[in-house]
Amino acid sequence: MKYKRTLGRILAMEAENWNECIEKVGKSQDKVAFRSLFTHFSPFLKAFLIKSGGVTPENAEELVQETMIKVWRKAASYSSSQASASTWIYTIARNTRIDWLRKQNRQNPDLLNAEDLYDERENPTPLSSLSHIRTKKLISEQLSQLPAEQAEVLRLMYFQGQSGQQVANTLALPLGTVKSRIRLAMNKMKLALAPMGDLGVLEGSS
Amino acid sequence: MISRHPESDLLVEYVSGSLSVAPCISVTTHLQYCKQCSDSVESLGEIGGELLNTAEAVPVSDGLFDRIIENLDSLVEEDPSDGVLHQCSDAISTELPEFVQRFLPDEELDWRRLSPSLKVAPISVGEEVYELALHRIDAGGKAPEHDHLGKEITVVLTGSFSDEDGVYQAGDFLVRHPGDIHRPFAARNQECICLSVLEAPIRLTGIKRVLNPFLSFTPS
Repeated sequence: MKYKRTLGRILAMEAENWNECIEKVGKSQDKVAFRSLFTHFSPFLKAFLIKSGGVTPENAEELVQETMIKVWRKAASYSSSQASASTWIYTIARNTRIDWLRKQNRQNPDLLNAEDLYDERENPTPLSSLSHIRTKKLISEQLSQLPAEQAEVLRLMYFQGQSGQQVANTLALPLGTVKSRIRLAMNKMKLALAPMGDLGVLEGSS
Repeated sequence: MISRHPESDLLVEYVSGSLSVAPCISVTTHLQYCKQCSDSVESLGEIGGELLNTAEAVPVSDGLFDRIIENLDSLVEEDPSDGVLHQCSDAISTELPEFVQRFLPDEELDWRRLSPSLKVAPISVGEEVYELALHRIDAGGKAPEHDHLGKEITVVLTGSFSDEDGVYQAGDFLVRHPGDIHRPFAARNQECICLSVLEAPIRLTGIKRVLNPFLSFTPS
């Protein structure tokens, strides 16, 4: 328990640190802070991007580069009250991957890029920082404690960009089983998901 | 009051980036109305950040940082849609959420009459699997009873409509599956406009087949 508290504090300190780095890049084009971000995040970004279907190791670095350039350019619009550093960077990497894959499929990504589809042009309403910190803490605690089968489903979806149906195919499971694993994971993490068939999730929210 | 929301697996697909263009637009449209699902999406984003941060790191090549620094100002193309505000000339467009207006053509919408009280206007978003369209039911109007051959997502934008299962208001997000048969009708006092995403043409059950809304613009 004590160990966990200490670990939590270290994680919180680190997280603050990355938030500050992004803010420094945004305010004063601070290349030292940018380098710290690069050193910390780019191996994770490569790990994330390399798992996506159709991305070769060379492409993965190209996508890391694109992601980091966007981090540099968008840093001024970053606010730590809206998202933690890693979530913000995750979103940029996801959008970069979506646009890249669409380009590979010869769909016209310039017409509608991922940012348009997710409506990320304007700054979203900031979350109250309290609920934000609480959610973040809950998620990092609970995520590491998820049963392996639920964590695997999430990893396939987030890292490989697989749909529920594709996960079902990969794991040779019925789609219903995949869906219920997702629901169980959300329940476990006490995410306040929509009430459609998920009423039980609401306890512990708000 | 919004009563119908996307299910958790659809929200995870949305946040993790596996939805194609039209379904992605339908979820973002729902989020324009629904605080609760917006919060869920924020939390699901945190999962992405957390997974990123706990991934098994893959080393990057030595020169990558320098290449990035070199390219900081040169590589990124200006986003063509940045700052361009276009306005669809169709009279109904201003009644719709700003987010939806962005996908409408500059000119008038291509409304096609499907039945005396139902019209549809396809919206081109350049994808093959799903069709995106606006549906418009006149106040008090009824849509023909129909069956679904593929998945259909409907997001109510203005007004309300009902079917055998309930009443749906602005922001409600409905998913119909193959084999679901229903007959929607709009509230008496106001026309109802919906955003729809269709996987495959739907099939009319009670009415002449020629009225099938989607025969006219599906590829097959």
